Amino acid sequence: MTETDEKAGPPVTLVEPIDMSKLNRDFRREIQSMPDGDELSACFACSTCTAACPIANQWKYKPHQLIRMILLGMREEVLTSREIWECLTCFQCQERCPQNVRVTDILFDCKNLAAEEGHVPENILGLAKELLEKGQLYVVTADWEREDLDLEPEVPGLSTDEFKSILKGTRTGRLVGGDQ
Amino acid sequence: MPTYNLYMGCSVPANYPNYEAATLKVAEALGMELIYMEGVGCCGSPNLRAIDYFGWLLVNARTLAIGEKTGHDIVTPCNGCFGSLKDVLYHLKHDEEDMKKVNQELEKFGLELKGTVRVRHVIEAMYTDIGIEEIEKKVTRPLDGVRIAIHYGCHLLRPADVTEVTPDIFDELLRVTGATVVEYPLWKQCCGATVLPVNEPLAVRLARDKLKSIKDAGAEFIMVVCPACGNQLDLQQFGIKDTYGEEYNLPVLFYPQILALAMGMSEDDVGLSMNRVPADPILDHLTG
Repeated sequence: MTETDEKAGPPVTLVEPIDMSKLNRDFRREIQSMPDGDELSACFACSTCTAACPIANQWKYKPHQLIRMILLGMREEVLTSREIWECLTCFQCQERCPQNVRVTDILFDCKNLAAEEGHVPENILGLAKELLEKGQLYVVTADWEREDLDLEPEVPGLSTDEFKSILKGTRTGRLVGGDQ
Repeated sequence: MPTYNLYMGCSVPANYPNYEAATLKVAEALGMELIYMEGVGCCGSPNLRAIDYFGWLLVNARTLAIGEKTGHDIVTPCNGCFGSLKDVLYHLKHDEEDMKKVNQELEKFGLELKGTVRVRHVIEAMYTDIGIEEIEKKVTRPLDGVRIAIHYGCHLLRPADVTEVTPDIFDELLRVTGATVVEYPLWKQCCGATVLPVNEPLAVRLARDKLKSIKDAGAEFIMVVCPACGNQLDLQQFGIKDTYGEEYNLPVLFYPQILALAMGMSEDDVGLSMNRVPADPILDHLTG
């Protein structure tokens, strides 16, 4: 072997060591107490979820890493991540998990925790506002199109008042109902 | 005659009344009585589930309770509504505590949910309750073997323990119209609609990959059973033309539109002119 002039630099650190003092040990129990967290600790980090995810290559934190981070207690990183909001909710990860971890459902739980602490993307808040004010995501505007098809111009049976009154009293109302 | 609670949701009537009309007309021809549910609203979509789990449980539990009272199954043409209602019912049937909490709130509306109601996609009900043989008898103007790819939609198929639907029934339903079902590699992949609010370029990319996979497999049309998937795959073809310079020209049809045409109904009956990528070439494939 010939010696080279330049010495190789130090090996690239793949992952910065985790600062143990910043871990929140209760995070895993918090998620486990939520609707879909029962099987969380069964994760053995095989990363099948990541292999199944159509957009994992776009993400800094892959699905299996997010589950690991929950187990480790990296609460802030998970709840402020953009990944939880970009999840397509296509359930491919959850469907293929050999340990029956409800990965997609758990990301929904994370979004709820994030929402409780005010970390919600602006466009999602906009949709929440629409839901609260109009009682539905889409409102019929082109009723002539409906009539052309022999449909009632207004959707039969539709009532939005109960929907609005329910959401006024839940987290949606707290998040976007301030000016009402 | 089987009778159903029809939960139409908000997207179909506002964005795709052609899907609504075709569903009603096909159901009538098949002898299914669909009755619009009285006093119901939106399912809230996965966006509501993301920010307000309990609110999402409540609005959907209310719809379920209204349906349960009539003793008939709830059917819907929207995968989003289907997913929300199925998911909420599944959760409440497995969580006594939440069921109790939800019922305390439902009492204010004079309602109670026991969990006996069934939620189904309206097209699955056509398959299971009417049956392929009966449907075949109504096909008077079959398609000529034209190649159609099916996009099932995520919330129709997954999670399977919740949705209780398998994709093969949709293949059979399409075949009975005389069409050929085209298999393609990305058949399970998401259309990208759900990520639109937070990352539009990613949503466009997902639709593009899906369309490319379908086109490469030699399909001439796409069949969908969900307004959100339909919107994404149909409308996004114009965005893809701008962003990727690629033209797919793949008309997107809702299943009841295809079946209605094969049953001899007219293009006006199914609002074919409302499909964004012109879908009328399907007419050239009708025989008889």
